[in-house]
Amino acid sequence: MNLVTVQTHDALVPASTPPAARRRGRRQVRLRLFSVAVSFAMLVSWGLVSGLGLVSPLFLPSPWRVAHQAVVLAQNGYAGATLWGHAGASQARVTIAFAIASALAVPIGLAMGANRWVKAGLDPVIEFYWPLPPLAYLPLVIIWFGIGETAKITLLTLAMFAPVCLAAQSGVRSVAIERVHAAQSLGATRWQVFAHVLLPSALPEILTGMRIAMGVGWGTLVAAELVAATKGIGFMIMSAANFLATDIVFVGIAVIAVLAIASSLVLRVAERLLVPWRGRG
Amino acid sequence: MLSVSNATVHYEAADGRLIHALQDVSLGIDDGELVVGLGASGCGKSTLLNAIAGFVKLTSGSITVDGAPVTAPGADRGVVFQRDTLLPWASTLDNVAFGLRLRRIGKRERRERAMELLRLVGLDAFHAAPPWQLSGGMRQRVGLARALATDPKILLMDEPLGALDSLTRESMQELIVKLWARTHKRVLFITHSIEEALILGTRIIVFSPRPGRIVQRFDVGFVHDVLAGRDASEMKADPSFVALRQEIRALIHAGAGA
Repeated sequence: MNLVTVQTHDALVPASTPPAARRRGRRQVRLRLFSVAVSFAMLVSWGLVSGLGLVSPLFLPSPWRVAHQAVVLAQNGYAGATLWGHAGASQARVTIAFAIASALAVPIGLAMGANRWVKAGLDPVIEFYWPLPPLAYLPLVIIWFGIGETAKITLLTLAMFAPVCLAAQSGVRSVAIERVHAAQSLGATRWQVFAHVLLPSALPEILTGMRIAMGVGWGTLVAAELVAATKGIGFMIMSAANFLATDIVFVGIAVIAVLAIASSLVLRVAERLLVPWRGRG
Repeated sequence: MLSVSNATVHYEAADGRLIHALQDVSLGIDDGELVVGLGASGCGKSTLLNAIAGFVKLTSGSITVDGAPVTAPGADRGVVFQRDTLLPWASTLDNVAFGLRLRRIGKRERRERAMELLRLVGLDAFHAAPPWQLSGGMRQRVGLARALATDPKILLMDEPLGALDSLTRESMQELIVKLWARTHKRVLFITHSIEEALILGTRIIVFSPRPGRIVQRFDVGFVHDVLAGRDASEMKADPSFVALRQEIRALIHAGAGA
């Protein structure tokens, strides 16, 4: 076969040159150090303010008292359940609600982004409910679903649904029309355009929406465990507050923070594995 | 034969004005012809291409490919876009094979054909790379290979070299001419560069804006000189080349001023 030979003037785009990369790396290290230093300074001022007795421990327990309380809770538990039992119950609720919310919101959001009739039909409902604070509709959820696990998971699911749904919609709508045209002129059917172009194009935004939803879920946890819970970090915080056990409240807050950061990290890793092309077209 | 007769496209702009993007355009493209649509921006040349591709509906008139009327986009009309439309999650090879995959052609066969096309555009060494690791010129070559993979009856190229630097652009022009001569495809190539039109086209159709219509057609033969290996800079200095370039420039300026 007589192949056409091509003279080319373009080459691979060079990866960032080593010196620039090193400079960027050093700046990253300095920024990280600054973050750690500021956090440490805040911890020290907390210790000083509480340690010197400037504020009553009822309002602000000292860091070592909170740390000690954490150890005690880890060993003895709280209100009939271990600290791990409380954390596990909360983690399970958030995880189940996240799974349900994602399973519903991704297809609905994609359909809303791809079809204006679906969007016109569902937009009013979603636009109406999503800015509402979950505490506002908590009483309704309890009246409808009772005081068991169903109500708690329903509340979390409702709160986590909107960010994923909106992200999936916007992911579909931000696909360049030329990319759709290109697939169509290669013979793609409507379904193939959806499966091979719209869905993967929307994936980076969907994953971002999921990360936001995870944050919203943890943010709604205390509200979800407000009524008739016997287990869960949110329950532990509210119950301890009734007894003015401020140090236990602090431990609860710290546990939620750690779990929320861990969930976010897991999703970030998933993003890196699923959409390595992110931000590159 | 691609046949466009009395194609007219009117649409309403965002502010409610009626835009006459294309007015009574008729055109035929035969086997082995490389027709270049030339004109200033907003003259309707891209609208014509989009209508042939099936992206834009005609207000009146008709378009047929080998007698079959065009109603929607289809694999019989391959398109190369100005903007990069490669799929970033797929390798270069899978991008070229995309149209074959949509046709449910087996993995081994579509990879073989895609690899052959990548060799044709000189990118077989990059088959495993994702498109975002390639330069702009390389990506356009992948786009060209992808459009050829489904063996379309006509190749529609919408300012495919518009975003490239001049050196890359020249080598791409050479590649397009060689591929055209090799595959003998019918090509409609849209550009606003007069020199590019003269180098590539067997026929040049000059558009004038508001309403977009064809004001003049030129049969030209410089593309055969390019194929014969004539030096491009020498050809651009050829008196007949210069005269034609001047004539077309005057024509476009007159149209734009009207």
